[in-house]
Amino acid sequence: MPSVRDLRDRLRSLKNTQQITKAMKQVAAAKIRRAELARKQARPYAETLAEMLDELIGSVSHVDHPFMKPGRSGAPAGVVLIAADKGLCGAFNSHLARMAELLHKEHPDARFYTVGTKARNAVRRFGVADHPTWLLGSPSKLGVARDVAQRVSDDFSQGTISEIVLISAKLISMLSQRPEKRRLVPIVPGDFHAAAAQPSAAGPKGSLEFVPSPQFVLSRLLPKYLEFTFFLAMLETDAAFFAAQLLAMNNATENASKLIDELTIQMNNARQAAITKELLEIVAGAEALNHT
Amino acid sequence: MARTIAFKLMTPSRVIYDGRAELVIVVTTEGEEGILPSHAPLLAALKPGVLRANVADDAGVSRLMVATGEGFLQALPDRVTVLVDEALHFDDVDVAAARRELADATGRQRAPGTDPAAFAREQAIIDFAAAKLRLTGH
Repeated sequence: MPSVRDLRDRLRSLKNTQQITKAMKQVAAAKIRRAELARKQARPYAETLAEMLDELIGSVSHVDHPFMKPGRSGAPAGVVLIAADKGLCGAFNSHLARMAELLHKEHPDARFYTVGTKARNAVRRFGVADHPTWLLGSPSKLGVARDVAQRVSDDFSQGTISEIVLISAKLISMLSQRPEKRRLVPIVPGDFHAAAAQPSAAGPKGSLEFVPSPQFVLSRLLPKYLEFTFFLAMLETDAAFFAAQLLAMNNATENASKLIDELTIQMNNARQAAITKELLEIVAGAEALNHT
Repeated sequence: MARTIAFKLMTPSRVIYDGRAELVIVVTTEGEEGILPSHAPLLAALKPGVLRANVADDAGVSRLMVATGEGFLQALPDRVTVLVDEALHFDDVDVAAARRELADATGRQRAPGTDPAAFAREQAIIDFAAAKLRLTGH
């Protein structure tokens, strides 16, 4: 049986831990709001971009861009893994890492690009030590997205990789996030149609004018679309991370409460037992004196 | 009152303007282009420059001027939408920083061995810095 003092020490440390988890929960709740706001503000741009591409592809008879053709055959896939920089968020990061690891087992030659410290560590753990990596929590997410897009599209057009696959977190609700795998390149034109704010009504071909030319506008729009897809995925992973952390910290706080209750009862029992024992000793001592 | 069209100006991080305009003038890769109501459907690539628009609201018509980065313009008979990487109002421009960017990018561009892609990237920075300076009257 632990002594009263041991129990009291454990209780004190538990209460400290609970305060920390409670504080982290509140911080996560505040950050989730900010992350959601950033996502909401980015949406109109994303929808318009998809709409422009949808219109462009719908109005010209022939589109020609490396991104729309299959990559060099025989080249490995390029995988962009986005995860959080930090932990304390339940199984959030490990779910993302597992999806990447499965892909790695299937295609051991796949090349990885990671965003987020945890993504980098996971990919290193399963044996791809040297790969380009970025931080998720950098001040300019758009800058990072631009760098990632630049890097993967260079590798794609040079034939180092044959396709671009993105693994990131999808925020389904505040209580549920799940990893998602999407193939970004080669691009399927239908993607734009689904994402457009107002899908084009497929007007007569040639009714749309281009400055300077459809080819040029497409060559500018597609990289921008790729860049923006990474940006949105980073924003969503960020929001999902805070949602996961909020949930994890909420559970931790509740568990701590339960433990504190149990320990308090144990401590009271132990204290009572000690008092009873002392009383018994005093009474027994007094009795012994009376009998002499 | 003159006829107006729906006009939207957006960057990846926010919507800069969402309202109505009588006229929108943008800088495309081929030069300036003015968009009036009932414009034929148009999709244009923009280079960094100063975007001007006569925006109309209940109070009347006013001039909107912003320095914009690279982007795209979509004109339809009833609306015009502009997507740009960055957009800065007069008050948001840091003149000293813009001067520095201009000088740095020019230096990098002139360095020997610059490949065409890097050259184009530096040119975009130069154009945006120049647009910021022009907007602020420098």
